[in-house]
Amino acid sequence: MTARMDDRSNQSRPENSGENLERLAAKQPSTFTPTVVLSLLEADQVVAAKQQTRFGPRQLSPGLRALLWGLRVYVAVMLVLVVISVMRALHAAP
Amino acid sequence: MEPSAPTPNPEYRHAQPTTESAAASPAAENLAHLLTHEDVDRARDRWQVARARVRSRGANLLGRTRLLWLLIGPGILVFLGENDAPSMLSYSATGARFGIGFFIPFVVLTFLVGFIVQEMTVRLGAVTHRGHAELIFDRFGKFWGFFAMGDLVIGNFLTLVTEFIGVRAGLGFFGVRPGVAVGGALVIVLGAITTGRYWTWERITLGLAIFNGLFVPAAILAHPDWFALGHAFLTWTPLPTGSHYDILILMLADIGATVTPWMLFFQQSAVVDKGMQPRDISAGRTDTFLGVLLASLFAIAAVLATTPLFHHGISADNFQAAQFAEALEPWIGHIGASLFALGIFEAGIVAAITISTSSAYAFGEVFGTSHSLNRPLREAWPFYLTLLGSAAAAAALVLIPHFPLEFVVLTVNVIAVLAMPPALAFLLLLVNDREVMGEYVNGIWGNIAGVVVTVLLVFAGLGFGLATIFPHWLGG
Repeated sequence: MTARMDDRSNQSRPENSGENLERLAAKQPSTFTPTVVLSLLEADQVVAAKQQTRFGPRQLSPGLRALLWGLRVYVAVMLVLVVISVMRALHAAP
Repeated sequence: MEPSAPTPNPEYRHAQPTTESAAASPAAENLAHLLTHEDVDRARDRWQVARARVRSRGANLLGRTRLLWLLIGPGILVFLGENDAPSMLSYSATGARFGIGFFIPFVVLTFLVGFIVQEMTVRLGAVTHRGHAELIFDRFGKFWGFFAMGDLVIGNFLTLVTEFIGVRAGLGFFGVRPGVAVGGALVIVLGAITTGRYWTWERITLGLAIFNGLFVPAAILAHPDWFALGHAFLTWTPLPTGSHYDILILMLADIGATVTPWMLFFQQSAVVDKGMQPRDISAGRTDTFLGVLLASLFAIAAVLATTPLFHHGISADNFQAAQFAEALEPWIGHIGASLFALGIFEAGIVAAITISTSSAYAFGEVFGTSHSLNRPLREAWPFYLTLLGSAAAAAALVLIPHFPLEFVVLTVNVIAVLAMPPALAFLLLLVNDREVMGEYVNGIWGNIAGVVVTVLLVFAGLGFGLATIFPHWLGG
């Protein structure tokens, strides 16, 4: 697809729970410097990183497209029926 | 017409699910210059979690409790938020109309369905760090995204109106004038968001939400038949009798009281705003389960509190909140009735906070503006304006003389159920999307449960449709 934010394999990377985090957790940092902040957050948790990346659109198969359209028509029809039902209820009310 | 295939914006890079530390990312040096207030606040919360996690190792019960305390929030809030004014009125109507019986275990079942669905949003939020609306727009494009947003916006606004009806009616029992009640509620919503900190907002709202438990003492004062309650749980009887149409509508309303589109959007966005990570997913499940447990307990309490009306043959067909409290007063006393009315007020206020927040999160995600409660007002004013504006508009409608409030109350839960199947379809597609979820995709049982719930909701809607077109079939 397009260039990845980080081209290293997800599986080969350690989680954010490594020794670094343990060291950080041991005592409260006096200030939350950029290094400390980045150590505590995941790569795509930083606002600027999220703003630069997107998961991108997926291809919708004809079956999936039909399902989404079917559900859309279902909602539209049901909304009309809700209005009919409520009108009846309001007219029937004393 | 729907575009054949949305084209990716070349200025964005392709995201992928990762649990890598931002400090270890090749982009770290660049990101260090771009940190926001939101990032720093979130890092502070993560530091608390990291410290609690280290201290919770082994058999340290206190440490584990502290860790759970830090990680609970979105799950409890979403379920106690959904125990809102129209939902509590649906449960009250159920108790008054059918007493203790089939509907007691049925309500618990609907909450279990809610758990299955909401757990998926916890995983989506913790893994992708993106809200539900943002993911729908990313993966399905604007065409389908705006449909999903349309359902959310309409549903949220109508529900918000009913919350202020609840606020007005609940305080009306104590003689508070509508303008004062609704204005006061708006001040509380404003107060919760002026903290500029997700953590503080979450704790304030949790503190308010726990008062949903006011229905428990109200239920105890109604002296329910505990043996009948146990019997109902075990046998799902006695079955409801009377008009099948009325039973169907009440079933739909009770389902709509536990599974609604706003819950999906809210919990995922709150999980993201809280800064939860994949390793917090099990705590997120516990949080969601605690929410289910508390909300189902309080919902059953609302059913039990109104059973005296059933036993004394009092019709509650057209009751609203204050009327329930007034009608119950001879049997549960002034204190019981006051607790009931306060419970409806609380249900309205907490839901007004959570639902307006859900709208604001979705708005920010779709239009790319800042959307975090960790942002100060000056940085995220469109987010806060959406939040407060939607609440204020709903509040204003409630004060308009002769506005058809009954119309809104009647429709809101039913609309929630009918809008749920497309929302569930998007949820299931996202949570099965390996490009988005990586190793955290749904398992086979999660998919079976999700599909069964979606099909059941479609059939419930079709039943409603047939009953509307041919009311005499079901005795309507």
